[in-house]
Amino acid sequence: MTEQDNSRITLSIRNLSKVFGGKNEQVQALNDVSLDIREGELFTLLGPSGCGKTTTLRCVAGFEKPSSGRIDFLGRDFTSIPPFRRNIGMVFQSYALFPHLSIFENVAYGLRIRKLPRKDTEQKVNRIIQLVGLEATQKRKPSELSGGQQQRIALARALVYDPQLLLLDEPLSNLDAKLRVYMREEIRRIQQQAKVTTIYVTHDQEEALSISDRIAVMHAGKVSQVGTPDEIYENPNTIRVADFIGQANFLTCEVQANADPVLRFRSGEQITLTNSSDNVRGYQDTEGILFVRPEQMEVSAAANHPNSLKGQVKVILYLGSVVRYYIEIFQDHDPQEILVDQDRRVHGVGVGDAVAVLVHGQEAKLFPTEQRQQLEKA
Amino acid sequence: MAREITRRLKTFEFTPYLVLGLALIILVVFIVYPLSKVVFSSFIKLGDAPTLRNLTLANFAQFSKSTLYRSAFLNTMVVGLVCVLFSCLIGIPMAYFVAKTQTPFKTFFLTLGTLPLILPPFVGAYSWILLFGRQGVINYFLDAAFGFTLPDIYGAPGVIIAITMSTYPFIFLLTYGALISADPYIEESAEIMGASRWRVIRTVTLPLVIPAIVAGALIVFMRSVGNFGVPAILGGNFYVLPTLIHFQVTGFFNLNAAAAIAMVNVVLVAFAILLSQYVTAKRSYITITSTTQAARVSSSKLLKWLGTVFCFGVIFFSLLPHLTVIFTSFTEGWAGTRYPTKFSFDNFRRIFEIALTPIRNSLFLATTATLIASVIGTLLSYINVRKNLKARWILDLTVMLPFILPGIVVGVAILVGFSSGLLILSGTWMIMVVGFFIRRMPYIFRSTTASLTQIDVAVEEASTITGASWLTTFRKITLPLMAPGILAGAVISFATLMGELSTTVILFSARWKTISVAIVEYLFSATIGPAYALGTILIVLVLSAIFLANRILGRRMSQMFKMV
Repeated sequence: MTEQDNSRITLSIRNLSKVFGGKNEQVQALNDVSLDIREGELFTLLGPSGCGKTTTLRCVAGFEKPSSGRIDFLGRDFTSIPPFRRNIGMVFQSYALFPHLSIFENVAYGLRIRKLPRKDTEQKVNRIIQLVGLEATQKRKPSELSGGQQQRIALARALVYDPQLLLLDEPLSNLDAKLRVYMREEIRRIQQQAKVTTIYVTHDQEEALSISDRIAVMHAGKVSQVGTPDEIYENPNTIRVADFIGQANFLTCEVQANADPVLRFRSGEQITLTNSSDNVRGYQDTEGILFVRPEQMEVSAAANHPNSLKGQVKVILYLGSVVRYYIEIFQDHDPQEILVDQDRRVHGVGVGDAVAVLVHGQEAKLFPTEQRQQLEKA
Repeated sequence: MAREITRRLKTFEFTPYLVLGLALIILVVFIVYPLSKVVFSSFIKLGDAPTLRNLTLANFAQFSKSTLYRSAFLNTMVVGLVCVLFSCLIGIPMAYFVAKTQTPFKTFFLTLGTLPLILPPFVGAYSWILLFGRQGVINYFLDAAFGFTLPDIYGAPGVIIAITMSTYPFIFLLTYGALISADPYIEESAEIMGASRWRVIRTVTLPLVIPAIVAGALIVFMRSVGNFGVPAILGGNFYVLPTLIHFQVTGFFNLNAAAAIAMVNVVLVAFAILLSQYVTAKRSYITITSTTQAARVSSSKLLKWLGTVFCFGVIFFSLLPHLTVIFTSFTEGWAGTRYPTKFSFDNFRRIFEIALTPIRNSLFLATTATLIASVIGTLLSYINVRKNLKARWILDLTVMLPFILPGIVVGVAILVGFSSGLLILSGTWMIMVVGFFIRRMPYIFRSTTASLTQIDVAVEEASTITGASWLTTFRKITLPLMAPGILAGAVISFATLMGELSTTVILFSARWKTISVAIVEYLFSATIGPAYALGTILIVLVLSAIFLANRILGRRMSQMFKMV
């Protein structure tokens, strides 16, 4: 992180821990979490359920009291300020619109509490409702709106009083698939227009990659990795992150360090990685796990292709934008199935055919073998 | 560090702790304190100082020495058990007919079947004598036409009939609820395996609703052994524990003896609760219902007609006393003659001359107590649902205790608690309000708890994060959303307080007679006309309160009683 970045940090979470439960049963929801969130960015907490992402968000909101650690907002200690004085906007998973108030009153709620003059209130509410594109609904009750509309009103209600921080707790999880994609673009657009520092919680890695400036991948109450979507996807720092984000293949191998390292697999086959990344070239151990994304490999009908792994096509899935090949490799030595994505069908390759699988060295990565246990057992 | 502490104090939100703490203090002062005191004083002899050294079982020894005590105890048991039995015999078939057959007028039966729960039973009690008594109309005609008369109903039979006709709706409504919510596929699967209709009823339908029947039986038992008004009017020498308590309080002003009898009364109730839990614990069925399909209805014509006749009969018979009250209030000099001869508004004219004060008193006391119960009950249910108290069950039990205990026991506890000691309220209207509000708070507590558990916590959090303090959130979000629950509880509280007798009879003072006390006094002095005119006014007040609430809430009356 550069000097300049440091000066723009809005929210700083330091060594945050949270333990739930009494004497008998204790659950460590957060374990020494530290994060820096920069001004105006959309920062995503990503992880499976129970990883601590929502607890972190609720600590920032003030609904949970951290067991230890501190949260500083613009240099002020946040933990001793009650939630209603933190000037935060928040969108809840269930939207939590006030069922007895009209849409207008829902959105105006925060302004009424701030005792804004009537005229300003009306003006601000109208502007924000326009921003989320729901001008016609003002007089209705929340129950008369569709899920997507309720979602936008929740967003409008959270933004109308210009909060210093916007928290979004799995805001899209109650919408159907198509609306989810549309709404995440909407949220991004509105967030950019409002220029508000935002923390976004989700378990959906695709959503996180598409919407975020930066992502913190969490697991079991800890932060596994923080980075831009590109960094997280292309350069995961552990097998767990690599496995959680996107599709991945992991192949155990022996490593011969070299300018172009040579990998030897349990089938006896070996490949040379040319143009490989710093990670691979600097790899010290003699054993490792090769991590390679499906789209970073190639299927070839020529069975005797040099510098490749022999395999047999088991399944071909046509997914529209890509064609996914399930290929069994190491057939005589404890076979393993890998995924290879191609932009289009490879000519002359069908199910049951023997093929060669090529690995594009520049994007592949090696992880130490002891990280194998991080792979989730399916 | 010191600065850190002062800053934390400044940012700490005191309001919820202040408001909710106050509610808890009221709970301790007005429920825990008098109840503990009455338990203690039952072990002290009249006139002895309330110290640990003076503890004695002398008050309880009366139950082995005095025949009056012994018979009162046995009578109470008999009344309780027989009323449960009769209520089941009426309520279960009625529930079956309304839920599972093509009997028409279902809404009519459900609505009128709820009325006996709201109309105070003592008001109609004397009508049984007018109708079936030795000098009653029915016997007069029977004698004239067939030359025989019915056995005397004064004493035990009258008490049991009058109480049963006011308690059977508990069995009816609870069983009905269980029957219509049971999964119809369960019965169908029994039938597909070859079971006949009677076999399905006997082996599937009835066993599934047994928990509901037991719950209803428990309430019937509690009401029967705690009823004061009916045995006071119809009992004569047939004493039960509540009338014995009243005898000790008003006859001898022996609060210690009354406390001991009250304890025995409570033990009966506690025993019934334990028994019912023992029975239901072995029979807790969890049916996984995946269907929203309505309960299956028998297409039998026979059952349809049988059901119609039965239900009409029960409704008519159970409302007959109150109809008699209204009818009689417009007559002159009945009860002296064989049957009414002259109709007029004379009784009402007399009431407005001599008995306006009780009406005003009842309205004032019921309204005040309902308002206090609404505020405190709402706050306590908020604590119960929203604050993660470890001792939640203690709070729940404390609030519900005055509901479980017989009304006259609550009356004795309040009188013992506040006629001596730090806070002396006896002889004032306040002591009556205290008794009223703690007895009716459970209604509000239950109905607001139900509506509060349905409010998503995130809705309140959304208000908080928007910048609203606890009080603002409570006022603008939580309270409006709880309002229907509060209103439903408040209406039932008000309606049942208007005719409250068993607590009142212990706590009232000459200046603060209520409608119910005035009615009983008129009945005791055999001035039926004014008594029934007051009774009619009471019935009209109660019914209009319920009717109004139904209009506002848009619910059926039987639904409002779901929580009991």
